Amino acid sequence: MLGKHNFVRVAENIWEIPPTFRDDMRVPARVYADEGLLDAALGDNSVVQLVNTATLPGVIRHAIAMPDIHQGYGFPIGGVVATRLPEGVISPGGVGYDINCGVRLLVSLATAEEIRPFLEDVASSLYANCPSGVGSRGHVRLTNTELDRVLQEGSRWMLEKGYASRGDLDRTEEFGRVPGADAGFVSDRARERGRDQLGTLGAGNHFIEADKVAEIYDEAIAARLGIYSGNVAVQIHCGSRGLGHQVCQDYVSRFQKAVRDYGITLPDRELVCAPFDSEEGQEYFHAMACAANFAFANRQLLTHVIRHSFEQVLAGKIKDFELRQVYDIAHNMAKIEEHEIDGHRVRVCVHRKGATRAFGPGSAMLPDDLRDIGHPVLIPGSMGTASYVLIGTTEAMRQTFGSTCHGAGRVMSRAKAKKMVSGAELRDQLRSRGILICAGSMDGLAEEAPVAYKDVSRVVEVVHRLGIGRKVARLEPLAVIKG
Amino acid sequence: MSFEEIEHTADRAFRVQGQNFAELLKNAARAMSSLDRLGPSGTPSVVRTIEVEGIDREALLVNWLNEILYLEQTNGEVYDRFQILESSNRRLHARLDGRESEGWVTHIKAATFHDLTIKQTPEGLEATIVFDV
Repeated sequence: MLGKHNFVRVAENIWEIPPTFRDDMRVPARVYADEGLLDAALGDNSVVQLVNTATLPGVIRHAIAMPDIHQGYGFPIGGVVATRLPEGVISPGGVGYDINCGVRLLVSLATAEEIRPFLEDVASSLYANCPSGVGSRGHVRLTNTELDRVLQEGSRWMLEKGYASRGDLDRTEEFGRVPGADAGFVSDRARERGRDQLGTLGAGNHFIEADKVAEIYDEAIAARLGIYSGNVAVQIHCGSRGLGHQVCQDYVSRFQKAVRDYGITLPDRELVCAPFDSEEGQEYFHAMACAANFAFANRQLLTHVIRHSFEQVLAGKIKDFELRQVYDIAHNMAKIEEHEIDGHRVRVCVHRKGATRAFGPGSAMLPDDLRDIGHPVLIPGSMGTASYVLIGTTEAMRQTFGSTCHGAGRVMSRAKAKKMVSGAELRDQLRSRGILICAGSMDGLAEEAPVAYKDVSRVVEVVHRLGIGRKVARLEPLAVIKG
Repeated sequence: MSFEEIEHTADRAFRVQGQNFAELLKNAARAMSSLDRLGPSGTPSVVRTIEVEGIDREALLVNWLNEILYLEQTNGEVYDRFQILESSNRRLHARLDGRESEGWVTHIKAATFHDLTIKQTPEGLEATIVFDV
């Protein structure tokens, strides 16, 4: 039984399982957590899953878990694993079914107090205009040609169609278009699942949330990002919908044979992988990039609809309600990056599964106007609790392949949460605290109850103290829209 | 012998049993269908027959479940009766009975291979299946 005794404490809040723990480990497994969060991680199977990722061919330095680590399938959620290219592998299960699930943050110059009298109408308008819930369909049904453009161009196609501004693209990871996308590697089945889902939220832990900027920790950085105390912000959390799910399924299924062909032995079949430069590896990468672009376009279309909803309700009533994009980040993705390892620049494939890019100042991947401050990091909390904006750091580049945590992290199963919490009671409790909830399913709401999650503030405090992300601002919810 | 939900922090997982492989496949589909919040089942009005392949029994099990999800999502249907007409370790032929879902489609993203092994037990076969939701 894996326990705390298997860890070596290498520094404050950094715990390591040495590769001698299991014969098939190629590198140590590292958990970034305080002692309580480590105990929480040991409460489910997530650390075993982390150790499993330390066996992947080509894995380099450490298999890493962030303080929001929890049990997933294959990789743990909150995992970061880099493989050395060209011989290292890419793993579809290391990205997950919701490819480029991510978070977008918009801000306005209007204050929460100005919007509060109209909050009920804003929430209703968002709920009515943004398709959400199981099997939701969007306002747009794409032709094959249009879908190809979305898959290959991502947010750029949305700009052409008038659903985005140039500023939106400048403030999106990869400028809203992941390179390497080739729609020829996306199956007809994936296309069919995604064709009418652009601009939809989905269900599960996905949400749209109107927030108040409750606290600023770094005024200079916050001002550079356009974030000011007391103002209204909006977060969007969703991904690539059925299209991404099918891309992952297609390649996890196909790679079951590929691992045999390449003689790769794995402790879990969900970790199936292929050398990045192999035919299978390349084809998955091209298809994954397409799904990632679909997700960027999806959040962009939702942004357009959210702006329209704000205008519908607030035009002529308050000033400065327009929403400007702070940033859009991915937290399920494999990226080709260069990192400095033992004094050398090394090309790696970084799998972030429930983890966020946190590049420090100077990264060439950042838009010009953010290059001197670093990569914005968006960390949504559980429903009804705070969310955080952080900024990437040089320390993250040094320690975690420029990565940090992505959220609070679950500690309780959905089934147990549903038994413990009534969705309707939770909605009423939150309302009594001034937080409006619009949800399609009371069961779904109960599954996402705050009690099912770790304390996001504690998770953020750990990464802040470790220096792998620096706090900029805290947001508090005003209204939550869920499927 | 059928299925029971077991603890999983982020997703949903079932321990599924069957006296033989065909029954395991059927019970796995029943377990998955129990996750959908689609209300009481109505009179079946849709029938589909499908063929699924896999490189081994585990792959066939996952592909079978994912095929059902795909059909539900793209056809706007929900199935709650599953009949395995014919099966081997690498191929199956099955009948699905269900109805139009009237805009409600499954919220399950996929059946996964995570820790999936079909084990022989004194009573028959058993597998633990994790679904991404």
